[in-house]
Amino acid sequence: MSARGSVKMEKVSKRHGETTVLHSVNLEIKAGEFFVLLGPSGSGKTTTLRILAGLEPVSGGQVWIDGEDVTFTEPGARDVAMVFQSYALYPHMTVAQNIGFPLKMVGQSQQAIAEAVNEAAKRVGIAHLLSRRPGQLSGGQQQRVALARAIVRHPRIFLLDEPLSNLDAKLRLETRLELHQLQRELGVTTVYVTHDQEEAMTLADRIAVFMEGEIVQVGTPRDIFGEPSTMEVAGFIGTPPMNLIPAQWTENTIDIQGSTHQAPMFSSQSKDITVGIRPNDFRLTLHGISARVLHIEDLGDNTIINFEANTLRLKLKMEGLTNLREGEEVHLSFDPKSAHLFDRQNGKRLN
Amino acid sequence: MNRFGRQVTLYAVSGLLVSVWAFPVLWAFLTSFKTERDVLAYPPMFFFTPTLSNYKEVLFGTSSILPNLWSSLVVTCSATFFTLCLAIPAAYALARLRYPFRRASGFYILATQMLPPVGLVIPYYLTLQRFGWLDTYSGLVIIYLTFSLPFAIWLLVSYFEDIPYEMEEAALLDRAGRWRALWFIVLPQVGGGIAVTTVFVFLNAWNEFMFAVVLGGNRVRPVTVAMFNFISVEQTQWAKVAAGSMVAMAPVILLGLLAQRHIVKGLTVGAVKGGGRR
Repeated sequence: MSARGSVKMEKVSKRHGETTVLHSVNLEIKAGEFFVLLGPSGSGKTTTLRILAGLEPVSGGQVWIDGEDVTFTEPGARDVAMVFQSYALYPHMTVAQNIGFPLKMVGQSQQAIAEAVNEAAKRVGIAHLLSRRPGQLSGGQQQRVALARAIVRHPRIFLLDEPLSNLDAKLRLETRLELHQLQRELGVTTVYVTHDQEEAMTLADRIAVFMEGEIVQVGTPRDIFGEPSTMEVAGFIGTPPMNLIPAQWTENTIDIQGSTHQAPMFSSQSKDITVGIRPNDFRLTLHGISARVLHIEDLGDNTIINFEANTLRLKLKMEGLTNLREGEEVHLSFDPKSAHLFDRQNGKRLN
Repeated sequence: MNRFGRQVTLYAVSGLLVSVWAFPVLWAFLTSFKTERDVLAYPPMFFFTPTLSNYKEVLFGTSSILPNLWSSLVVTCSATFFTLCLAIPAAYALARLRYPFRRASGFYILATQMLPPVGLVIPYYLTLQRFGWLDTYSGLVIIYLTFSLPFAIWLLVSYFEDIPYEMEEAALLDRAGRWRALWFIVLPQVGGGIAVTTVFVFLNAWNEFMFAVVLGGNRVRPVTVAMFNFISVEQTQWAKVAAGSMVAMAPVILLGLLAQRHIVKGLTVGAVKGGGRR
């Protein structure tokens, strides 16, 4: 794995007039890492990527690549390649000319360009399309051209802005896998923007979760799924999303709508909290939250059951099929170890 | 109405429109091959013995328009060249940069087109006189720029706006830099628009009459003005005027034919945002 391509951002902020899109972002990406910027739209992840590319000037803070301050370096001088969400292929050039363009711009010989283009095209499986124009290609093929244009120059960092979002569902899954493999083979630091948490979970070595212009959590997919640092992250990661239930936490017990549950840890004073339970952490028991089956979604290999508990809507996900029927009254409970406790005031994790 | 009926109506209406447009041209074409006597015959003659004497006279006679064709060519080509040199960067800037009063400046450019040219003739005359530029190529070219430049900028802006900015950003990351991004990525894609603009600017300058007649003179007399050689107080030599028109039309028609493909494509692409694949 190459030792180049490490990134550091310190107190990076971005303002458009009165509105602040990015508040003091701090970020460290290791060389060779597959790093995903994850967040809902408008959370600042794409802005962060564009700042890293040099397409967007910062309003404050500093950016380093491999220890070198690039805050005010031109995009072309940063030795980074980018795949745009729209692919931004050059429509008047052939596929070969598109892929070779970054090499032509640094004055490589015709022959060297042709060889490099061939190799890059082969890597992404479009060697047979070199003489076509982008307009004659399918979306998936266009995406590969964009990818080849990025890998042809062996940059120190790949920047990918939602590269799969314009593909249909099946192709997206395939390409995701290939992308992961490609990154492993090339070992080039990759910064990948997506709003799709499943994409993030499967691709990333580490994820930075963005919310409203701030990074709220950085960690491995496991960290972020297993211990979301705020209620927002908890609600954003996982399908179906985590159940977030208002509760009362006193000493060793958690009170949810009159039913008591064991707490994962001791609290000296009584607190208003939100308990987060993943849909597959719910159990059907004799005691617990009383709920009525509202709707059953049969997904073939597993089942999602929607419950109504007073004003709450809860989801339970289980393997296989259920013999519950709609309208049936049941009780729900959970293993204290699987509970995520959040402060109801500021949304921060408590356990 | 059935499909057949609709087709017939369509052809009839378009035939009518075309003939309204084509009649004067055809009439001038026929006239240019008549003798001056045949021109005045009544009722008008559709069948006559064609003669090339008018063309001989117009091109090589005592008041040959060849020097005037040259004048027209110099003025028109210079005006077109400088218009494009200035309009392309200006249109690019207007399409890309975000600066205060951007909209207002766009409107201002268009507004200059709304002034009646007659109102400008005298100020222009006085200005050129002060610079000693009356009856010079530079004088006429500069005046032509005053109306062709705003028009060209306005026309080109929409073509530049059609090129997604992301494409230039990709070029920047591909180490092209601003200028090469413009040269390799943007300009080739607005080629159709540039062709259309060239044709229109050329056409306007070539056909211009009023400024040429007032601000030109004996040295610089474009062909549109020279046509008046054949109109005098005593008589109008219609056949010569017609032959002169035919000769004067030739370069424009030639240019039109050459750029036809680009014009049709360019016009539709420019008109409909993101219309069609390019």
